[in-house]
Amino acid sequence: MEELKFVGKSLPRIDSKEKLTGAAQYVDDLEFGPNLLYAEIVESTEAFARVTKVDTSEAEKITGVVKVITGKDFPYKFGLYMKDRFILAQDVVRFVGEQVAAVIARDPKIARRAAKLVKVEYEPFTPVFDQMEAIKKDPILIHPDLGEYPHVPWFYPKAGTNIAHWKKVRVGDMEKGFEEADVIVEDTYFVPRYAHCCMETHNAVGLLDYSGRLTVWSSSQSPHTQRNLFAEALSPLGFTHKDVRVITPYIGGGFGGKAGVTMEILAAAFATKVKGNPVKVRWTRAQEFYNTYMRQAVVSKLKLGAKKDGTIVAFEGTNYWDAGPYVEYGANVVNASGISAAGPYRIPNVKIDSLCIYTNLPAAGPYRGFGYSEMMFGVESQMERMAKKLGMNSVEFRKKNAFKGGDILVYGAPINDNGYNECIDKVAQAIDFGKKEVSDDPNKVIGKGIAAAWKGPAMPPNASSAAFIKFSEDGSINILVSGIDMGQGYLTVMAQIAAEILTVPLDKIRTENPDTDRNPYEWQTVASHVTWSCGNAVKRAAMNAREQIFDTVHAAYLFDKSTLYLEDECVKCTLKPDFALPLKDFVIDGIMVKDGTFRGGPIMGKGMFMPEFSSTKGDPETGIGGKPNVHYTVGAGGVVIEIDKETGKVKVLKTAQAYDIGKAINPSLVEGQVYGGFMQGLATALFEDMRFGEDGSILNPNFTDYKIPTALDIPDEMIPIIVEVPQNDGPYGARGVGEHVMIPVMPSIANAVEDALGIRIKSMPITAEKIALAIKAGLKEVD
Amino acid sequence: MAIAHEFEYFKPESLKEAINLAAKFGEKGRPLAGGTDLVVKINDEIEFPDAVIDLKGIDELKKLELKDGKLFIGPLVTFTELINSPVVRDKFPLLREASGTVASSGVRNRATLVGNICSAVPSLDSGTPLLVYQAEVLVKSKDGERTIPIGEWFTGPKKNALKPGEIVVGVTIDEITGKQGGCYVKLGRYRGEDLAQVGIGILSLENNEYRIAFCAVGPVAARAEKIENLLNGKELTDEIIGEAKKLVPEEISPIDDIRATGEYRMHMAEVMLVRGLKEATARLNGEGTEYGTSVI
Repeated sequence: MEELKFVGKSLPRIDSKEKLTGAAQYVDDLEFGPNLLYAEIVESTEAFARVTKVDTSEAEKITGVVKVITGKDFPYKFGLYMKDRFILAQDVVRFVGEQVAAVIARDPKIARRAAKLVKVEYEPFTPVFDQMEAIKKDPILIHPDLGEYPHVPWFYPKAGTNIAHWKKVRVGDMEKGFEEADVIVEDTYFVPRYAHCCMETHNAVGLLDYSGRLTVWSSSQSPHTQRNLFAEALSPLGFTHKDVRVITPYIGGGFGGKAGVTMEILAAAFATKVKGNPVKVRWTRAQEFYNTYMRQAVVSKLKLGAKKDGTIVAFEGTNYWDAGPYVEYGANVVNASGISAAGPYRIPNVKIDSLCIYTNLPAAGPYRGFGYSEMMFGVESQMERMAKKLGMNSVEFRKKNAFKGGDILVYGAPINDNGYNECIDKVAQAIDFGKKEVSDDPNKVIGKGIAAAWKGPAMPPNASSAAFIKFSEDGSINILVSGIDMGQGYLTVMAQIAAEILTVPLDKIRTENPDTDRNPYEWQTVASHVTWSCGNAVKRAAMNAREQIFDTVHAAYLFDKSTLYLEDECVKCTLKPDFALPLKDFVIDGIMVKDGTFRGGPIMGKGMFMPEFSSTKGDPETGIGGKPNVHYTVGAGGVVIEIDKETGKVKVLKTAQAYDIGKAINPSLVEGQVYGGFMQGLATALFEDMRFGEDGSILNPNFTDYKIPTALDIPDEMIPIIVEVPQNDGPYGARGVGEHVMIPVMPSIANAVEDALGIRIKSMPITAEKIALAIKAGLKEVD
Repeated sequence: MAIAHEFEYFKPESLKEAINLAAKFGEKGRPLAGGTDLVVKINDEIEFPDAVIDLKGIDELKKLELKDGKLFIGPLVTFTELINSPVVRDKFPLLREASGTVASSGVRNRATLVGNICSAVPSLDSGTPLLVYQAEVLVKSKDGERTIPIGEWFTGPKKNALKPGEIVVGVTIDEITGKQGGCYVKLGRYRGEDLAQVGIGILSLENNEYRIAFCAVGPVAARAEKIENLLNGKELTDEIIGEAKKLVPEEISPIDDIRATGEYRMHMAEVMLVRGLKEATARLNGEGTEYGTSVI
């Protein structure tokens, strides 16, 4: 194999200097001049109610108020996978904090004061906050018209219930499967809601200029998808896609929370009411918790059967998801994780039901891991319990049953080649799994836990990426793409891929942030798919540019194209060792030939990638058929923890995390993902927890009581391990890793707690309090 | 941040001017020092003052000094200044240890100790060291000056003994004569900044004198007199510590809230008393860990 010069190297991020010096601009940094207006939202105080009256008259009297907007101004629905929400509430509100009206004013203080004067009257219904309640007999329906909502073909809503989507998987014969089992383990697990907590809260600015062009600057993972949904939702006002433009500068974190469209639609819609004036909508931290997306809570009822020799023969599971009142994105979390809810294991008999259930808590949706972290907590806890019952080492038990490349997945297609066994072996070795360690402190005990991770990108089968590569006179490059660098290093990785083909060093490459007018299409930066998908597009664009370069040289010098190659920013020829034509000499102006005319012209590569082998055409009753997942990234995580038996406090002494990512385009960025993902997962395992009052309000919409990890919570030792079994359709063999790094953390901690104390905890988070009180009460299991 | 509430803002240059403003606005006037509580409360629409009296222009309120055996802490002295003060480090190590656990470094750079006791939340980290060091609060109004012992300062959750028109002009603490060992133990939900779910400040002095105060486990931060009475004059043995632990339920009344259950708070108060007593006494004897090392 040819030696790679840029790919596979831990090169510094191309955006680091900008970000470290503060030069990098975010939406709220952009200047919009003196005409900028500010919108303040009037939020529902009820979790579920009919809106009987919205009186805006007092607010309209305030000097400085430009416009007061109510739901009646925009009776338009929107949604990514299912159209189940309105721009502003119409007749019914379905969660506390929902947008009912808005005040647009010249000053944010005035907007806030006036918003308080908007009087909303409600006729409350009985809300339902618990997904198990919502599916009981004769429930109060949160969406009585569910049967009429447009949705993607792979959703199966149950009209007349609160079940927005029911994903089924049926393989083999369950009765026979459990009959063959020597040991059966059956448990119920619970994972609560969590919030993303991006450093930068959601904010967006909309402007409808006098030419009829609607531009939205937004902090988003999905500029092209936003453009599409804005154009769709506002089409009754006469907008077509060409009129709508979304610009996304740097964003301060995403984690899935800035995927799709949430509050940004307000900026787009409001702008249409104040033509000529930009209008800003900016969420406070509390609004960030209430009215973007949260992670869904889940109750998992699982039953696992295995033979004495450790062969898993049957898996039955039902996951009940609390998805909130709008599931236009969240239902796909249920769907995607539902496909994979038996874990990365070869099991002949599988029955999985995944229910996406409407409730009156705030809307839930995508969050790093897309349902896999939640469902894998139960799955990997079960695997540990089963191994214990069988008297097997749980690593050997997992390896015995793990999918190998070519094994058939539940939907009937083979899984890609993967290094699962290598990952888990390396993790086990790094933490000396199976070897008991004793603390020097008599109050403390040490435990070890391990868990598997797997995930496929959750995306429509035809989600695509596109790229342009433009050369300039000095041979430098601008890469135009529409993915988002939200900390993961996407801009750098795209530059490395282009550099590898075009031999242009990174200091001569800029990867541009998206502007849907200028940058080509990208579906969204979600699903851990952009390195793979957009990486392919950029690689193709670079190859296309290279082809144009060779065409130019061929036209001017008549060298056979097959003899040409690029090296050190020059075109070289295998037959002419002295020939080295610098790119900068011709990539804009072309090459002059003997008669003074020119050959070639501006080099501009284009490339796109759409998987042409993926399909969601499965049987709704069995889930069999199609190929919904383009591939899986697998891995494993292990922890060594120390628990203070009196206080219940857990300290992570060491963690090792191994992922088979096909090819690390930039190993240090991959390690960054592992560190960050582990910490995010650790917090969900130990102390994060969204709490709600009896009225459906959030008790901790702030960092005083919603705790996210700090530098002090980082383990003493973190060992990232990169395994590389190439992805044959990935750029240089790469697969995604962004989300996977969170997935094994919760179960590995729970497994380590059991190893240390003999206590099995089946609900998240495993707080110090939960542990201490379980020890005090002498419990062996905690629900 | 757009604060919707409208108020008048004053920045007096002298204490006299500030006191006149306090007199004028009474309950509707709020002094501003670090602003880490007040500004948040106004923004969150918990407080609606007519006037905010910014004390930061008054130099005499910035004083932090040890004079004639008395430490004077002015109302503009921040937690960071306390932590960085060699006098506090050498003579009032427990105050320094507790100050280091207040919020995060960014907040400590602005938040003041006097502001902390004026907010008077039950979980305040400065409460227990001030109680065991037996501090006094100096207040001034148009009518004159008062000195309030810290034990009488906290009158209820988020309530203090300050009357309308009064401004706190300082906190004083007498220097401890002889050796001391202190230990502030704080229960948080993780290692990052948190409000105490249980806090205990312990001072172990020569001749087997023990001063103990709890915070976050009752309506106000308070001394644990029954435990002190049991322990005073006695060598610390496992047996006597065990007896002290049994008295914890008589001293505190922890509640369930979003941060912890009363049951866990009670359990932890006992654990923290035992560990804190041992550590404070070890420090007294020069055998303990460095201040700032958590025992839980």
